[in-house]
Amino acid sequence: MYFECRDLCVHYDKVQALDRVSLAAQQGEVVALLGANGAGKSTTLRAITGLTRASRGEIWFEDTRIDRLPPAAIVARGIAMVPEGRHIYPFMSVRDNLLMGAYLRRDTAGIRRDLDRVFARFPRVRERLNQQAGTLSGGEQEMVVVGRALMARPRLLLLDEPSLGLAPMVVRDIARLIGDVNREDNVTIILVEQNARMALKVSGRAYVLETGRIGLAGGSAELAGDDHIRRLYLGG
Amino acid sequence: MEQIIVNGVVLSATYALVALGITLIFSIMNLLNFAHGQILMIGGFMVYYVYGVFGLPYAVALPVAAVVTGLIGFGFEVLLFRRVVRVATREENSMLLAVGTALLLENLALFGFGEKQRGVPSIVGGVYRVGAAFLPAGRLLVVLIALALIVALLLFVQYTRPGRAMRALAQDREVTYLMGVDVERISALGFALGAGLAGIAGGLLVTLSGVNAGIGTALSTKAFIMIMIGGAGVVAGAILGAVVLGFAEAVGYALIPGSTTYLLIFVGLILFLVLRPQGIMGKPQR
Ligand SMILES: Nc1ncnc2c1ncn2[C@@H]1O[C@H](COP(=O)(O)OP(=O)(O)O)[C@@H](O)[C@H]1O
Ligand SMILES: [Mg+2]
Repeated sequence: MYFECRDLCVHYDKVQALDRVSLAAQQGEVVALLGANGAGKSTTLRAITGLTRASRGEIWFEDTRIDRLPPAAIVARGIAMVPEGRHIYPFMSVRDNLLMGAYLRRDTAGIRRDLDRVFARFPRVRERLNQQAGTLSGGEQEMVVVGRALMARPRLLLLDEPSLGLAPMVVRDIARLIGDVNREDNVTIILVEQNARMALKVSGRAYVLETGRIGLAGGSAELAGDDHIRRLYLGG
Repeated sequence: MEQIIVNGVVLSATYALVALGITLIFSIMNLLNFAHGQILMIGGFMVYYVYGVFGLPYAVALPVAAVVTGLIGFGFEVLLFRRVVRVATREENSMLLAVGTALLLENLALFGFGEKQRGVPSIVGGVYRVGAAFLPAGRLLVVLIALALIVALLLFVQYTRPGRAMRALAQDREVTYLMGVDVERISALGFALGAGLAGIAGGLLVTLSGVNAGIGTALSTKAFIMIMIGGAGVVAGAILGAVVLGFAEAVGYALIPGSTTYLLIFVGLILFLVLRPQGIMGKPQR
């Protein structure tokens, strides 16, 4: 398997946030991870990038076990994450935000090329290159944080609720962007969303977390037709 | 009048190094470095021994002061603060640790360097006239060194890769992990740099007013005043705070008898903080 979590458990002090979570992604897939608030979606992504330590279980990426590595080493292996809540560097210019994404890279020419690709993808970002990132609108900030993650040239991209708090029109842009990045850059994507409708549209398969456990898993199209899912996450 | 301006410039430039050092540590580690004044004092003693006692050139003594104090800062971060910042659930823990390191340095200095006030011979001879004021060449050199270092630091933080990582760390620690930054290494580097700046400032100040093992607390207090005036964690604020304090001192010492100056500065500071608690350029609390 290209990417896999096996029996992942995470505890915050005594509270167990994840209970034997197993999920996997093939190379080139978009996999959605759904679930209500507090189900453990963010914790799963944080465990993958090493921000939170798993108390049990294993994480494998490209035939290497990564769950004991520090975050910097995990990032260096090709995993990038856009955390929940659009964490741009507010007092840095947009350009420096993007360059932070390329922090581990030394190929100046490649970095320049990838900057141009980000600009091509987000023309609005180029216009605001020297502006402080904190002054951007929510949608523009989302573009900057996704652009920043892409500047690392990841092969696996973890997105934590990219649509949160954005207008429906901007959410459509984000959905299109996820598909584009997946196809054009050949990036495998794990998409965490509460917006199940959008997530099931752009993903091929999906997992549903229910209070720290995988409750349901399957093809996104089937899940979108599932009565249980419709009732719980798609509003009828 | 001109003399006040000249003295104000000399003090401001040196103080700016102090304020920038403590700001660097504050923003990267989210830690108010209570030992900053003591590190400054150590820097002063390094110059006193290397230049004043052993007779080596000042151009050797000042880098020695920078390296020794930089290593102290590095050691503090790696051995003490790293662990406490990681496991502590309350900010008070690292604050208490900082106070502890201040006491430690002060007592070591008392033990090793004694209680005497120490001074050094002037680093260069000659006096310039600026209008009606006198500017000894040694003080001019102090200003030039301080300004050069300030500019170098600003360029470093703005344009280099580790400098950018330090700014990133100051703004969002967790995301900076996700950029692949070796956060521990950059923190130690930042602490070392901040402490080294304090050491250099101490090595400059010793040529103006000498040094003794007990000046640390007063100097830390001055550093806190500067960042409170300017706004904690803001580079431009640190420089502004240094200028305000430097000139307040220069004016006070020229016009007001002795210790009344600092009494007035404190009263002014309290009134100012009531009106603007985040400082002149500070960001409102998140
Ligand atoms: N830092 C933390 N300390 C303690 N408990 C936490 C922490 N972060 C998350 N939790 C708890 O872990 C559970 C899962 O949280 P999270 O992964 O953020 O859920 P989701 O992203 O699905 O909303 C929740 O019960 C939450 O309260
Ligand atoms: Mg979450």
